[in-house]
Amino acid sequence: MRSLLVALRKDLLLQWRSRTQIVAIFAFGAAALLLFSFAIGPDSLALRQHAAGFLWLGLLLASTLSLAESFEREMEEQALEGLLLLPASARALYYGKAIANWAQLALLGAALVPVTVVLYDAGTLRLVSLLGVILLGTAGLSAPGTLYAAMTAQIRGRQTLLPLLLFPLVVPVLLAAVKATSLLILGDPMGQLRPWATLLAAFAVIHWALGGLLFSRVVED
Amino acid sequence: MMGVVEGGWGFVAAAYVVTAAVLGAYATTVFLRYRTEKDRAAAKAERETGA
Amino acid sequence: MKEPSQSRAPQAAVALGVGLLLAGSYWGLAKAPGEIFMGDVQRIMYVHVPTAWNAMLALTFAFVCALSFLFTNAWKWDNRLEAAMEIGVVLSLLLCMQGAIWAKPTWGVWWDWDPRLTTTAVMVFAFGGILALRAFVDDPVKRAVWSAVACIVAFADVPIVYFSVKWWNSLHQAQSTPQTVSKAFHWPLRINAFGILFLWTGLVALRARVAALRLRNEVAPPLPERAPDTAGAPALGGAR
Repeated sequence: MRSLLVALRKDLLLQWRSRTQIVAIFAFGAAALLLFSFAIGPDSLALRQHAAGFLWLGLLLASTLSLAESFEREMEEQALEGLLLLPASARALYYGKAIANWAQLALLGAALVPVTVVLYDAGTLRLVSLLGVILLGTAGLSAPGTLYAAMTAQIRGRQTLLPLLLFPLVVPVLLAAVKATSLLILGDPMGQLRPWATLLAAFAVIHWALGGLLFSRVVED
Repeated sequence: MMGVVEGGWGFVAAAYVVTAAVLGAYATTVFLRYRTEKDRAAAKAERETGA
Repeated sequence: MKEPSQSRAPQAAVALGVGLLLAGSYWGLAKAPGEIFMGDVQRIMYVHVPTAWNAMLALTFAFVCALSFLFTNAWKWDNRLEAAMEIGVVLSLLLCMQGAIWAKPTWGVWWDWDPRLTTTAVMVFAFGGILALRAFVDDPVKRAVWSAVACIVAFADVPIVYFSVKWWNSLHQAQSTPQTVSKAFHWPLRINAFGILFLWTGLVALRARVAALRLRNEVAPPLPERAPDTAGAPALGGAR
């Protein structure tokens, strides 16, 4: 547990030090949202209807940048091997990194909400629920994302492989998160939010467990 | 389903042809690759025993 | 590492498979009666359903190979994993194509978001991506370990994907794609199912040999039976 906190602190510190990069990733996400609206056209009704989809697509695209970047420091000067020599276990390293990535992705998601509200006229009063959905969805992205980022950081072709590997895997997250967010934006007369949130939670639990089990094999030498 | 689907034979034929084509093409690639690798291994073995 | 087997059993299996497929297809096309509502389009089921069973079987076998490799570190399981994933992707891709050809006359669109087919499409990308990963990793040990890990994660995801798509789609579609076949049509189905089964098991055996031969070229001899067991790390998890 202590090694987990140490690893987490290390990763959060790294993120804080490279906060300009996070701002750039946010800008990328916002730009993507803008492009989506150009692709659909100035049809306010259509934009509002699909706003949830755009938000999560934009976040998904931005996540590949964020996740890839999370391992770049480790790759420089072979810091990864050095870290693994420490008594801290690979599992602690994984969860530390995954939690830090989760925080960053959730922050990105939250930051993109105002952009969504403005561009698509898609706001909601149920902000706490929206934050909950963002937290659950980004948790689902972070776990497999951290696992695959660790892999692809070590090889060439990483920019293509990370999204290629990650996107099919997180289809359930995309489906459920978009559905849940859409219900919040457009209204949820039949109270369907909870089941979708449960699906997101189940996905996250399964993949956080799997990732912890398998990570040591991914970074062994 | 309302009514009967007419004239489906074109699609049926397409399905079977596609199935045969895909399986046949893949099987061919496997056989060809197997033969290439076997020849390569044989050639290498010959070089090593010869040299 | 042992010499890759020279037995001709795989080729025999492939031949047997092809024979069964020809027989089953002939029966389904020429002999079996047309279905009441769907007419002759139903005959597509005689290849579609067997392909579906076998695609799932092949990917399940790939999953078993992945687990086996992580627990034993034996190269043979990596060779089989590569072969099984490849045939699994091919069968899944074929399944999607058959599904589209079936959907057009039946539903009027090429894709009707049927949960089973949609899940298959996602699997094509998931496992295809792992095959792409293999192409980019030069170190054979890393390649084997990572493919096994990725295969396990992807396979574990299949039920989640299926469930979420089914639910997502049920909100829009009242009926799901009927893929049940009535009793009169069982024989062509069974024959074709075994046909494809023999075909792909034979091909997997041969393809695994291809992988084994390529591996010998890659790794300096003598090729150990097992991949180097790194720091005695247990197969799954474990502290370092």
